[in-house]
Amino acid sequence: MAHAHSVKRHKGLMDWLTTVDHKKIAILYLLAGGLFFGIGGIEAILIRLQLIKPMNDFVSAQTFNELITMHGTTMIFLGVMPVIFALMNAVIPLQIGARDVAFPFLNSLGFWTFLFGGLLLNLSWIMGGAPDAGWTAYTPLSTHTYSTTHGVDFYTVGLQIAGLGTLIGGINFLATIITMRAPGMSFMRMPMFTWTSFITSAMILFAFPAVTVGLVLLSFDRILGANFFEVANGGNPVLWQHIFWIFGHPEVYILILPAFGVISEVIPTFSRKRLFGYSSMVFATILIAFLGFMVWAHHMFTTGLGPVANALFSIATMLIAVPTGIKIFNWLFTMWGGQIRFTSPNLFAIGFIPTFVMGGVTGVMLASAPADYQFHDTYFVVAHFHYVIVGALVSGILAGLHYWWPKMFGRMLNETLGKLSFWFFIIGFHLTFFVQHFLGLMGMQRRVFTYLPNQNFDTLNLISTIGAITMGIGVIFFLINAIVTATKPKGVANDPWEDGRTLEWAIPSPPPEYNFKQIPLVRGIDAYWKEKMAGNKEMTPAEPIGPIHMPSPTILPFVMSVGIFIAGLGFMFSKESFSNSFMSLIFNNWIVVIIGLVITFGSMLLRSLYDDHGWHIEVEELEEEGVKA
Amino acid sequence: MTTADRQASRDVVKHSARHEGPQKHIIVFIFSIILTAIAFAAVAAGGVNPAFTVILLLAMAVLQVFVQMGYWMHLKDRGHMMPILFMVGGFFIAGTAIVMALYWVWW
Repeated sequence: MAHAHSVKRHKGLMDWLTTVDHKKIAILYLLAGGLFFGIGGIEAILIRLQLIKPMNDFVSAQTFNELITMHGTTMIFLGVMPVIFALMNAVIPLQIGARDVAFPFLNSLGFWTFLFGGLLLNLSWIMGGAPDAGWTAYTPLSTHTYSTTHGVDFYTVGLQIAGLGTLIGGINFLATIITMRAPGMSFMRMPMFTWTSFITSAMILFAFPAVTVGLVLLSFDRILGANFFEVANGGNPVLWQHIFWIFGHPEVYILILPAFGVISEVIPTFSRKRLFGYSSMVFATILIAFLGFMVWAHHMFTTGLGPVANALFSIATMLIAVPTGIKIFNWLFTMWGGQIRFTSPNLFAIGFIPTFVMGGVTGVMLASAPADYQFHDTYFVVAHFHYVIVGALVSGILAGLHYWWPKMFGRMLNETLGKLSFWFFIIGFHLTFFVQHFLGLMGMQRRVFTYLPNQNFDTLNLISTIGAITMGIGVIFFLINAIVTATKPKGVANDPWEDGRTLEWAIPSPPPEYNFKQIPLVRGIDAYWKEKMAGNKEMTPAEPIGPIHMPSPTILPFVMSVGIFIAGLGFMFSKESFSNSFMSLIFNNWIVVIIGLVITFGSMLLRSLYDDHGWHIEVEELEEEGVKA
Repeated sequence: MTTADRQASRDVVKHSARHEGPQKHIIVFIFSIILTAIAFAAVAAGGVNPAFTVILLLAMAVLQVFVQMGYWMHLKDRGHMMPILFMVGGFFIAGTAIVMALYWVWW
């Protein structure tokens, strides 16, 4: 068994480029997600500065369109998704008692394809203009007829590459959760965060192919002259809306479900009570996911689907309020009678609940088709989805980051700074978006770059901008907190919050690269809490100490992603007329595309032909380190 | 019996189910070929009523899907609930989406 052969251990930058360790990939996701979140945040502030007063000329109309498009796209695909993946990577293998994800190589590939897709999309700012057709890129506005720059090409190609990474990540988590749970951890003993991530991964599996198809069709229309959405040639622009929302609506549940999971972990921990109604939480999660696929047309009430379709989709949409309500009440009942500690993660979690309820209520209002004819494309919609995606989702993510930060980095975040960022964030958030409900009801349209004075919009827009800046200050406090904490020495306890319930708190912070010296035996829901209550200091092992098999680090995922990036860039500019003859030679003859694909497929070939069996950490090494599993 | 033991015995069951000998597979393989042959023959014969041919082709295709999934993708074996669940779920969601979207777009 122990046929140890030496493995090349990398140091420094090379270590990060080649890592297949889920804990390091989590940190990479967090850094990349944080970077894009920052870019999206700056875009948001610029949007609000433009709208601070009527007839403002801070940015031009074209720039404003680019800003709103890139703000939405960046935040959803490149900001929030990766940070969710960071939490999933950091926590899920630990929560289910596994040593890594099912496919460590794919995990790394998923990260790098996401990063290069995101970089490609953001290159648009310096390469002739960002996409400007809104984050939904509705046709015909996004077709070649009306959008003649390369902006939307960056959108279609960049998102395809980034989406590939997301799909790979989702499949990986499905396989991990199905096959790698520790002995005794049945599905109905899984922690809620693992459950919601599992359902989210299933939704990614079903939803992302739809957007991939849509983006392929749109890029074929734009670059190769196809006619899927060109009315003049028999195409149909409404088809794009269907494809986009068949993906787009599940996408918002893909985003929010992991946040539900975080809240379901944080609230029981800081209430010192088990989660109220665990099985109803699981049931509600599955139901939300199922219904999430059946309501996409509620984004399209005004396209003229007819009264029957609108009524059906209204009802289906309102139904989602039932499982969501179950969750809200379960969290409240978890807190009821608990010993609540108002730590910074718990503040974010408690702030989540009323904010999410407000977003949910406006959601039910929008679900009513006749009312939606009034709300459609106004700031009321903007307020609604920012309540769920920012006020709730980002709060949930920040709760999760504060909660698991010691597990990820071995250092506690500063509580004072954490509380400051919470208060600035939540007050700033409600200041920004609460007033937007009324702006919408008074008739202010979304996606307009300016407005006329004396329509009662002036004061509310000013308040909204002040709120956005306040929220920005809250995020800056969080950044300062992260940086200050990084300078402190490591060395928090296994269970720094002292009331940890799930398996990740039974191992050191940060965990050794093999996570568990011995895979633990799970004897109930909240496995670690159960052992604590039984008077045990640590988990009962399910296996004797033995050599641990580890996957080898590899640069191939990085190289594959570079190849896809080059091919994508080549594809985008394949029909461009260049003044430089060398450029037109390599781009117009598909040479760049071929080079990129050769790099990618060559790496795949190398991966298939060269057997890498990984390496082992021997028992002696485990004992030398003296780490308790 | 500990959980690990039970897991081990389950693995033995799964393992033996996977190795049921080549005989059954040969029968299934011949059956698959016959299904394909019928479909080809129905079109090649030419004289058959086109509406009947279409129905026959669809029927052969459905049977073929079940044979392929059950035997060659092992869905009939124990421990394949998850793949079945995900496939059925995927078919249902994709089916709803395609049928409804196309219905609204073109009819």
